[in-house]
Amino acid sequence: MAFETREEGSFTVILVDESRLDASIAESFKVYLFDQIESGKDKLVVDLSPVRFMDSSGLGALVAGFKKTRGSGSFTLASAQPAVKDLFDLTSMDKLFKLHDSVADAVQED
Amino acid sequence: MNILIVEDARDQRLMLSVVLRKKGHQVLEAENGKEALTLLQQDNSVRIIISDWMMPEMDGIDLLKAVRDSEVGHYIYFILLTGKTEREAVVEGMNEGADDFLNKPVNFDELDARLNAGIRIIELENTLDERNRQISRAIETIEKDLESAATTQAELLCQPATIQNVSFDWFFQPSRILGGDMFGYQAVDGEHVGFYQLDVAGHGIPSALFSFTLNNIMSETSDRGAIVKEFTDKPPYYQVRSPENVLASLNRRFQGTPESMLYFTIAYGVINSRTGQMLMSQAGHPPPLWLQRNNNAVEPVSGGGVPVGMMPDMEYETTRVQLQPGDRLFLYSDGITECENKEGEQFGEDRLLACLQQCFSDTLKQAVERVEQQIRVWNQSDSFEDDVTFLILEWKP
Repeated sequence: MAFETREEGSFTVILVDESRLDASIAESFKVYLFDQIESGKDKLVVDLSPVRFMDSSGLGALVAGFKKTRGSGSFTLASAQPAVKDLFDLTSMDKLFKLHDSVADAVQED
Repeated sequence: MNILIVEDARDQRLMLSVVLRKKGHQVLEAENGKEALTLLQQDNSVRIIISDWMMPEMDGIDLLKAVRDSEVGHYIYFILLTGKTEREAVVEGMNEGADDFLNKPVNFDELDARLNAGIRIIELENTLDERNRQISRAIETIEKDLESAATTQAELLCQPATIQNVSFDWFFQPSRILGGDMFGYQAVDGEHVGFYQLDVAGHGIPSALFSFTLNNIMSETSDRGAIVKEFTDKPPYYQVRSPENVLASLNRRFQGTPESMLYFTIAYGVINSRTGQMLMSQAGHPPPLWLQRNNNAVEPVSGGGVPVGMMPDMEYETTRVQLQPGDRLFLYSDGITECENKEGEQFGEDRLLACLQQCFSDTLKQAVERVEQQIRVWNQSDSFEDDVTFLILEWKP
């Protein structure tokens, strides 16, 4: 599995262990996120540090996860690489997601 | 089951033949490999061959090779008869594609068991064959449908044209047969020309169908429900809608469930064809590039925005640009900048800007060809990973 989950305090950190978050894995990533959310985890941090490239489908999976948790928890992102940050800028994702520089930052706020 | 017995010893052949006929099989007989081949050419109903090893004219192993090399259209189950002294022959027989072996003299219970095994395999093969035929037919239908959908898509695209001092030309190549990219342009009224380029997330049929719908919505100008125009009580009884309102309205209209992940990025603009004033709004689309004629500069048009369909109640901003005569605008999808060469390096914005910098003395058509050429050289392949679309317009009053 290219996705790993670990608990850090009250947060669930999901590591995307792939260099590309694109159409080829977006659907399985979305299903993985939904499984986590449906099993009751509601404070999610997605660790994007290994991801060098993300396309619109990858972004779609993140937004789907975000929408799914909406109203009953938090969904933030951590450690985005420059190319991924560019995509977030282009799509004004800062309006939707909180982007943290590191997982350590992301799990501190409460 | 149709069985061919190949055996030079007449008594052996007859005995086998009688036993098999009693079991209800159709039996053909041949004296040697050569005769067997002739029979097979005349009658392609044979599914099982029981053949002796040593025979004059053509032996069992040569017959086996010939059968495996021929194209009968179905699998022939091959049982070799071997004597007790021909143990090592089994290996050679298997290597040549024999399915089973029978020791001579033939034990009829064993023959029965081995034949049943063969029949099971033949029936399995028949089932597989039938499934394969069904699948081939289904694929053929799907491919035809896809082709006609691709033709429909191509017909939806606007032709290069000049509308009220604004000229348009473009390049469009979907990644597979169908793409989620779409663009269009049209007169909104007597002095406004609207244009857009959009990219539906994902590829293939769902994205393409969605892009067809969007094309219909964007190209509607006359009805009271037109998205690019609002109708009012006072003359002239309408108002050209500002791009930010067009995008907000699209966003209200297309809110899917989290599961659907169907959304699109778009750049939509309106040019006043008399004054050259352009209004533009963007929703997560690569910023259109403004090619300024008087100082040969290429500048992105600012303004971000959340892709349409992602989140309800999003607001968009309109950027105002005053075009000078001869200025151009280049709209594109990320399939260009994210196009990778064999080493996995992306074409990128810098190369695109450099390419456009060379286009100032080109006609629109030449500019389209130049950009297309550079991306094709970068891509080094006939097909693209993602849809590649761009649209160039020029205002020349």
